[in-house]
This record gives sequence, C-alpha cells and structure tokens, in this order.
Amino acid sequence: MNPMSSTVGTAGESVTSQLTGPMTDSAATWDHDRTRLAAAGSLPPRIPQELRPPQGVGISRRLHAWHGRHLLRERRAQEFYAQSRNPVRGLPVAGWPAVADFIKTLLTRRRTLAALLLIMNGLAAIAGLVVPRILGQLVDIAAADDSVTATIDRLAVAVIGITVLQAIFTFGASVSAAIFGQDLLAAAREYIVRTVLRLPLSRVESASSGDLVTRVTRDVGTMSDSVRWGLPQAVVALITTVLTIVAMLLNSPLLALPILASVIPLWISVRRYFKRAPMGYITEGGSYSKINTSLTETVEGARTVEALGLQRRRIELTDDDVEEAAQAERYTMSLRNLLFGVIDTAYNTPLVWTILLGGLGYAHGWVTLGQITAATLYIQAVVGPLDQLISNVDRLQVGVASTTRLLGIAAVPQDREPGEDRPSNSHLLGEDLRFAYREGHDVLHGVELDLQPGERLAIVGPSGSGKSTLGRLLAGINGPRTGRVTVGGVDLVKLPLDQLRTEVSLVTQEHHVFVGSIRDNIVLAREDSFDEVVINALRTVDAWDWVSRLPSGLDTMIGSGNASLTPAQAQQIALARLVVADPHTLVLDEATSLIDPRTARHLEGSMAALLQDRTVVAIAHRLHTAHDADRIAVVIDGRIAELGSHHELIEADGEYASLWRAWTS
Amino acid sequence: MHDFPPAVPGFTTAVREPADQSVVRGRSDRGTANRPDTRSPLRFLVWMVRQQADIVAAGAAVAVLWMMPGTLGPFLIGRAVDQGITGHSASSLIFWAVILLAVIIVGAGFGILGHTWVVRSWLLALYRTTKLVARKTGQLGHVLPQRTPTGEVLSVSSSDSDQFGALTEVFSRAVGSLVAFLIVAGIVISTSPLLGVLVLIAAPVLLLAALPLLRPLQRRQAIERNRSSKLTSMATDIVAGLRILRGVGGERTFGENYAEQSQSVRRAGVAAGVWQAVTDATSVLFSGLFLVGLTWLGALEVVSGELTVGQLVSFFGYALFMVTPIRTFFELAQKTVRALVSAAKTVAVLEQEPPWSEPVEPASLPLGSPIVDERTGFRAEPGELTMVVSALPDASAALADRLGRYLAVDHEPVSMEVDDKLKGRAARRARAERELQRRRLIETDRELAGGRWGVRIGDVDLADASLEAVRRLVLVSDTSSMVFAGTLQEAVDPHARLTLEQAERAMRTAAAEDVYEAMPGGWQGRLDERGRGLSGGQRQRLVLARALAVDPEILVLVEPTSAVDAHTEAMIAERLTEHRRGRTTVVTTASPLLLHHADRVVLLADGEIVATGTHDQLLAGEPRYQRVVNRAMDDEEVPAGGAR
Repeated sequence: MNPMSSTVGTAGESVTSQLTGPMTDSAATWDHDRTRLAAAGSLPPRIPQELRPPQGVGISRRLHAWHGRHLLRERRAQEFYAQSRNPVRGLPVAGWPAVADFIKTLLTRRRTLAALLLIMNGLAAIAGLVVPRILGQLVDIAAADDSVTATIDRLAVAVIGITVLQAIFTFGASVSAAIFGQDLLAAAREYIVRTVLRLPLSRVESASSGDLVTRVTRDVGTMSDSVRWGLPQAVVALITTVLTIVAMLLNSPLLALPILASVIPLWISVRRYFKRAPMGYITEGGSYSKINTSLTETVEGARTVEALGLQRRRIELTDDDVEEAAQAERYTMSLRNLLFGVIDTAYNTPLVWTILLGGLGYAHGWVTLGQITAATLYIQAVVGPLDQLISNVDRLQVGVASTTRLLGIAAVPQDREPGEDRPSNSHLLGEDLRFAYREGHDVLHGVELDLQPGERLAIVGPSGSGKSTLGRLLAGINGPRTGRVTVGGVDLVKLPLDQLRTEVSLVTQEHHVFVGSIRDNIVLAREDSFDEVVINALRTVDAWDWVSRLPSGLDTMIGSGNASLTPAQAQQIALARLVVADPHTLVLDEATSLIDPRTARHLEGSMAALLQDRTVVAIAHRLHTAHDADRIAVVIDGRIAELGSHHELIEADGEYASLWRAWTS
Repeated sequence: MHDFPPAVPGFTTAVREPADQSVVRGRSDRGTANRPDTRSPLRFLVWMVRQQADIVAAGAAVAVLWMMPGTLGPFLIGRAVDQGITGHSASSLIFWAVILLAVIIVGAGFGILGHTWVVRSWLLALYRTTKLVARKTGQLGHVLPQRTPTGEVLSVSSSDSDQFGALTEVFSRAVGSLVAFLIVAGIVISTSPLLGVLVLIAAPVLLLAALPLLRPLQRRQAIERNRSSKLTSMATDIVAGLRILRGVGGERTFGENYAEQSQSVRRAGVAAGVWQAVTDATSVLFSGLFLVGLTWLGALEVVSGELTVGQLVSFFGYALFMVTPIRTFFELAQKTVRALVSAAKTVAVLEQEPPWSEPVEPASLPLGSPIVDERTGFRAEPGELTMVVSALPDASAALADRLGRYLAVDHEPVSMEVDDKLKGRAARRARAERELQRRRLIETDRELAGGRWGVRIGDVDLADASLEAVRRLVLVSDTSSMVFAGTLQEAVDPHARLTLEQAERAMRTAAAEDVYEAMPGGWQGRLDERGRGLSGGQRQRLVLARALAVDPEILVLVEPTSAVDAHTEAMIAERLTEHRRGRTTVVTTASPLLLHHADRVVLLADGEIVATGTHDQLLAGEPRYQRVVNRAMDDEEVPAGGAR
C-alpha cells in the first residue's frame, strides 16, 4: 500500500477548499453598473462624444472643435501605438538600433549590388536632366532671329540619343533595384523564420500563436512592401530630386532660388507629418483588423449569436468598430490634408516666382529664354520624384515598425543551456517539483515522482489541479522552479533539444499536418532517416497500407492546399513521427480526448503499437484509462494526493474510489 | 451631404404569405434605400453609387477645380512668357503671375476639399458594405456558414468593400479628368492645330503602346503573388505547427522548405522586376521621344513665326499633364472590372434570404409543456432532466438541432471562387456550375424549413411561432459554441442582465471557477478571440456557464462535458441537477457520471427513441444501452488500455 494514499482526508478537504476558495475577489471585479446601465439603455459609447462634431454652431467654433478632435485623435493614436509596441501578452518588440544593425548587416553583404543600384539610378537621372537643358537651348535658337533649321535638327537628334541612353539607364536601374530588393527581402524573411524556429520550447508551448502568426504574415508583408517598392522608389526619388536641384543650379542659380526657398516650408510640414503619420497608419491598420476579428467571430459563431439572441449586439459591435476605424481615418485624413495643402502650394508656387524672376533676369540680360524654359521644365519634373519620396518614406516608416516587431522574435531569451552530461539510463525521476506561471503562485507544491522504466502511470485530477503542468515538467518542456526532473541522472533541461526529443516526448491532442511530403511530415525528430525507417514507422501505426497506395507514395504532398487526410490518417501521421523519434518515455496529455469516437476505435492498434515497450505517463480524462494503468496518481491542488494501483486506491476508499463508484454504478 | 460611417438599416425577414413564395426570393425585387439591389452585380454597383450620389457628384465637381493648375497653368505660363518676358512688359508679367498664383492657391484649396470628399465617398462605400455583411449575418444566423464559406463572407467585408470605395473615388476623378481633357483640347487646338492634335493623340497612343508590355508584366506579377501567398501560408503553417517542430523536431526540414520557396519567390520577383524595368524604360523612351518631336515641330513653327515661344513652353506643360487624365480613364475601366467581380461576390452573400419566413400571426409558445419531436418520438417532460444516449453522437446532436429549430445540413458550403488557372469560358462554366449548386442548396434549405417543423411544445408546432420566440424559449448549446473576445463578465453575461450572484452560480455549476482564477483582473480579465488561450476544457465549461446563466425555459446541452476530466464532470453533474431543478433540461451524453443524475434517459437508435427509463433501469434491462454506455467507458482513452 502506498503511503501517499493515506492522505485521502486532507485531499478531500482540499477539494472542498477548492470549491469555496476561488473567486474570492469576484464581487470586487464585477462591474455592477453594466447591468443597470444596459437596462436603462445608456451604456457609455465606445467613441466619446467629444469626437463627434458639434451641430449648428459658427464656423470658428467648428474649426476650434475640429482642432480639439484632431488632438484627441492624435492622443488615441499615440496610445494605440504605445500599446501595440508593448503587448501585454505576446512577444517583445525590438528597438530601432536593432533594426539599424540588421539593415547594416544586410547591406554590407550586398555592397556591390547597392553601388550598382546607386550608379545606375544616378546615370538615369542625369540623362533625364540633360534633356530640359537642350530643350531650353532649342527654344533659345528658335527665338533667335537668325536661327537655322539645321541646328534645330541637330539638337533634336542629340536629344533623341540622350533619351535612348536615359531609357537604357532606367532599365538598368530598375533591374538592379529588383535584384537588390528581392535579394534583401528573401534574406530578411528567411532570417525571421529561422529565428521563429529557434524560439525556446517553453515559450512556444505557453504563448498563443496569434501574435506570431500576425508577425510572420502581416509584418513580413508590410516589410516586403516597403523593401520591394518603398526602398527602390525612395532611393530613385531621392537621387532624382537631389540631382534635379543640382541641375537647376547649373542651369541658373537665380532661377533655382524659388525651389530652394520652398524646401523650407516643405521640410517643416513633411517632418511634422512624418512624426505623426506612422502612428496614425498603425492605428488605422489596427482598427481594420479589429473590424475583421470581430466580424470573423460573428460569422464563424453565427450559430452561437443566433442561439443567444446576440444579433443586435454583434451588429452594434461592428458598427462601433467601424466608427473607431472612421475616427482613425479622419485623423490620417487631416494629417494628409495639412500636408497636401502645403506641398501643393510648395510645388507650384515656385513656378510663379521663377517666371517673375525670369522676367526680371531676362530684362536685365541675366538669363536667356532657354534657361527660363529649362527651369520651368525642371520644376514640373521635380514634382513627381518629390511626391514619390514623401509617400515612400511613409511606407518605409511603417516597414521599419514591422521590422522592429519581427526582430523582437529574436529578442526572446533561450530557456535552457545544454550541458555536457548524457543520461546513463532511461530512468525518469522528479524531485521536489514546484512551478509557477505567475510569480508567487505555485501550481505545484513539491511533487515527488519516481517512474519505473516501462510502467504505465495515469495522472488524474480535477481541472486546474496542475496535472498538465506536471506532464510538461516530466517532458522537459519547462524547467521546475525548485527541484529537478532527471533522466538517467541528468537534468532534462540540461539536455540539447535533439537529445531530449529522443528521450521523452509530450503528445498532445494537436496533430498538425505540415505542408510538405509525407516523408517530411514523419522524419521530424531524425531528419536524416532513410525511407525504410519511415516505411517501418508507417507500418507500425498501420498507415503503410494507405500511404503505399498513394500515387506518389512518400513524396505525396499533404497539408493545407494539398491532398487532404482524414482525421484518423492525420493522427496516424502524428503517431508515426513519434515512432521515428523513438523516445523511451511518452507523456500523453489528453492525447485522445478530442478524437472522434469512431476514429478512436480505428486508432487503437496504432496507438498500442507506439506505446509498446515504452514508459507512459497518461494524463487522463476518462477513468478507464486510469483503471488499466500500473499506477494512478491523483493530483489535487498541485500535490499528489493518492498514488497506487487501481486496486490499492479502491481499497484506500478515497477520492479516486468514490469517483470510480460513481462511474461504474 | 452624406458622411461616414453611413447609417445602415438591418434586413427584415419576409412574412409568410402562403400563396406567394416570391417574397422570399430576394433576387426579383429592386433595391431600396434599406435594401441593396441584388439582381445583378452591375445593378448592385449602381445601387451603391446611388446611395451616395451627392458625395460622388460633389467629388467630381471639385476634381474639376483641383486640376486647374494642370489645365490652366501651362496656358498662363505661356502668356507670361509671351507678354511679360519676351514682350518686356513688367505689368503683364505680374498680371499673369498673379493669376497663376491664384489658380495654384485655389487648386490647392479645392485639393483639400476634394481629398476630404473622395475619402468620404470611399469610406462610405467601404463601411456600408461591412455593415451590410454584419446585418446579413445577423439575419441569416447559422444558415450562412452552411451555405457560403466564412472566408468568402469575410472577404466581402475586408477586400471587396475596398473595391467599391476605389470605384467611387476613381469615378469622381475620371469626371474631373474628362472636363480637364476637354478644356486642354480646346486650348491646344485653338493655339496650333497641328501641335494640338499631336498632343491630344500622343497621350492616349503612348499609354496604348505600353499595353502590350503590361500583359506579360501582369502575368509575372501574378506568378510572384501566387508563390508569395504560398510562402505566407508556409510561414503560417510553421507557426501553427511550431509546438510540434520544437517538441518533436523538424526545424531543418521545414526551415529549408521555406527557404527554398522564398528563393523561388525571389526569382519570380526578379522576373517581374525585369519586365517592370522594360515597361519603365519604354515609358521613358516614348515620352522622351514625344517631347522631342513636339519641341522639334514647335521650334520649326516658332522659326516660321506660326507659334510664339510662350505657346511652345505651354505645350511642354500640356505634354506632361495630358498623361494624367488618360491614365485616369484607364484606371476607371480597370477598377470598374474589378468592382464588378467584387460585386458578384457581394451579391452572392447579400441576396440570400433565410430559408424560413415568419408566420403572419405567430402563435405563442406555452410554458410548462412537454417538448415533443414527432420524427424520433422524443419527448421531454416539463421540469425534468432528460438525457439522450446514442451510439452515434451525431444522431443526438441532430435531435438537439431539431428541438431548437436549427437547420442541420450535411452539405459543405459552396465556394463561389473558381480555380485561378481556369480562363475565359471554362471559368464561366465553372462559375455557372457553382451558382447552380448554390441555388439547389438554397432550394433544399427552403424545402426543409418551410411548412411544419415537426417539433411541438404543447400543441404548438415550432414553425407556427416566431423564430425569435423559439430562440427565447429553447436554448441549444452545441459543441461548436463560440466564446467571443471581451471581458470574462461579457462572456458569461453577454446580455448584461445578470446579478453577480447569478453569474457566480452559473460559474460554480459549470465548475468554471478556475477560468475566473486564470484571468488576471477577474471578471474584467480579457479573453482573446474565440477564447484562444483557454484550454478546450475551460472553453467548454465557460460555454456551459453562459448557457446556464441565460436560464432558458428549455435548455438543450450537446455533449457538455466531452472535454472535461472525470473529477470535474462528476462535480458538474451534481450541480447541474440542482441548478436546473424545476426547469426542462435535455442533455446528450454517454457518460455514466452524468446519466446517473437524469430523471429520465432515452436511447436513440436508427433515428428513433427505442427505450426510456432511468440510467439504472436501462443499464439493467437494455442491452443496446449497455453497449453504448460501456463503450463510452471502454474506449474513450485507448492508449493505456490498448497497450496491455
């Protein structure tokens, strides 16, 4: 008789204490007003009243109110931005210096390509800038009284030649931008995925994957956009703008004055814009994903919405989400309007001053008609690149924000440092195990567990008692706060992952099928396995029959978008993986509880074959599992309350025994 | 004038008029302000634009004004050069410069107004679509995901809506461009017929000349997009299976697979980039040659005295400007096509009507009466706890659906998206086939839902009461129940009707106290969407607590404890009996821990109730029952058992 089973009395008490203990602060956290306000139909609106324009007041009051709203929206954008930088849950965000380092490393590896990109663009821009000069000369010649058509023809041919050159350089510039951008991007995203694949085991097991999914999809997408379009265009635009101004100075310093002067208001308003725009756009993007998230819930949970009569509430929720998006849109719209107002004037007014100055200069003989023509052409030509520069810096900023989130993945510290020791045998032992997810809240209180090689141990207990946590410690997913779990005398968390996987495996109800060949899906733990190993594993789990009948056999592509598997087949693939991994100990966490009962029957043999000759720890929902195990551990409140064989526990007449009676009678 | 977000009324379900079935067919009637015109994609677009006709028209009017610097600027510069500079008249120079300045400032002012209105018009269309989708989902309820894949419903809101916005925007701009084009045409032709015609013809010709290059470019871009979206799904796949990749292994294989695909995206991107470069270079070449030709002809005309220098300078300006309106017309054509495709998808969602219509005079459902299903012979007495046992869980779930008047169907939703590789006629045929499938499906639904339902409460068939009354009286909590994002308090009390005591009681009965404990902030702790972050068992108990808290007259629970451990299940069984005492409760289960507590257990086999009694009676005298219940005890967890 196990000494542990004598603690039944205390266990019983702790069950009661569990019934009265929790939710002690329930009254304090309950929002009592909600019910009252809802009954009165006066729940506070999500969009504060101050964000709605006042009705029927004078123009100055309205302008004043608009300014107030604009500032309030700005604050909301700042708050949202700050929140998105520091998510409560989820992964960290890297700082801007990390991004700078990252970009520097990527660039230095592509020095030649970057230089080529700059040279090509410079040449294309220069060729483009020569043309207006020659056109100006044409005008001068044409305006002269003694002009000869032959000169005109010659100049025209020269311009044609330069235009052809410009086209060739543009082609070279575009091609080098594509090669450079695509290469940079591929390197960046592959690096990100590599960091994802290095995330520490404990982090992967605990965090919800939502944040990570957003990062590898949306953030990689944003980064791609800014690298593929934003970066090359910004480079081109910058080069062109700078060179155009240089060309204007060469054409006539006097006529270049207006455009140089307009740089000042342009600079001020563009800077102002850039300081606010990224927050505005990130908030806007966030508001749209909010619409999508809640609408997705409404559509996917349409039945629940209908059953509970929540239609009106869900529609209101979407309307509120829409209004929030509308507020974010209004903010960025105002920012753009403020910017456009200035740049539209800044682009176009130099034309006026140039003509006035030109008139003055022409009268005094300082400038020729051709120089004036060239200057007006240059002004009209600089608008395009300037516009592009501004809109692309915008894109780049958002891209950098995404990159900080991507590099944040790399900032997660590793959770273990492998040592040199290797296990001497396959004996798993847990001593004085304590563990807390939140500091000061231990969920395990000094658990001792000695697993005999080859035995079947069932862990039962109410939800929240810590049995899954115990399973994770035994599988080496997490390290305990105190005590240690050892295999053959070596700490599980001191083993390199490759080794750990072949010692002990945690099997959960998840059976993800990866996009890839059947072989890829099975060799996971030992990636260099020969086909015989894979086939043997499939045979072991009774899956070789159907796999061998597939047209491409082991090379058949499966996973989303490819040939679809039945749930039972997917489960068999998952089991075959474990056969290849061949660990001596398996920890099964509710491994079959969510399987369709019809497939469970079918999988019986596959599962049995996998478990053959291994130590098994089964965290069990159903008592029958426990009944058949060699030993049963009843975990209550983070302690092992009862431990022994089925018969011992029945005899002890404790928690387990009473449950068993209820089950079978 | 309309402003965003638009007010959008909800959909109303047609009232049944026995003779006239056409009422429920949304397709045959015109749209109204309250109801989109779903007769065809084109009509839908027209309806959409009509809803905001004022703002679209205002946007077009303003677009004319904000293009003024482009339309009038070159002319004014020419005048300034001719009269002011070469004419040596300071006053004319200043006069034309001031007018130019005025035009620029007015243009910038109207630019701001135009931008505001264009954004307004865009967002009106976008938000209207999103709101319509939300309302349609509310109206159709559980029927919608059975007919249309949820992804397609959502993309109407998230991406098709954007196409409608883009269309209204480009429409306003195109009208402005047309006016600008006509003004410029007038100016240039009256200045110099030869050069004027050249400018007018050259602009469209230049764009048309680029068209043959666009096709291969678009093809390569499509290849890049396809590969890139595959790459994204590979990344998602890696994240979704990350626990396995880090737990079991395989980082190298899938990391390399990703890298390989990433390189193939890179190659496709470079290929598209080369074509982009060809297009860029061609456009530089063509527009350069055009400018040279223009200058050359112009210079000759200046020499021969037919043209002044100022006029030549203004031709330069127009040569640069004219590309904009022409490009806008192309854009309009392109976006109309895209909007029509989106409209077809949108119509496919919005035209749907619920399979049932409301009775003209709804009967009221009696309280305290038994609920009877005529098809299976199931009967639950008022105030009793009745449990349904079946060898096939699906059969009991189907019974639960019938009791709640849910249309349970065994078909998959019909996607309206056809394979990208299909082109032209094949694509049209595939689409027509899908359309037919969908119509058939809607027809089947209508047949199933029309007429008598076959489930009575007292003497009233459920079809004779309003659907809302049925939903209020009977709550079916099925296994697919969703936990919505929000606070824990909102999750348990979505209607904001409960007192703290009621909420606590529901949580206790469902043994969901640990969910409360797991939430930082207690009732105000936030749940992620779909209750992600909770374990399966926690979600199930939270759903149970929510159903109990609603406290309906008749509560139907489908497998309420399938993901819960035996300890907790025993607790729930005991408390559930107490909680629902005196109210009608139906539970489908095969777990003895629950069955113990039933007032009455019925056995469902081959679509009929074949035995009724208490758990003990049936266990003693009904071999078929024994088989089902014992199997539940034997099989549920194969591993440890099977290995011995």
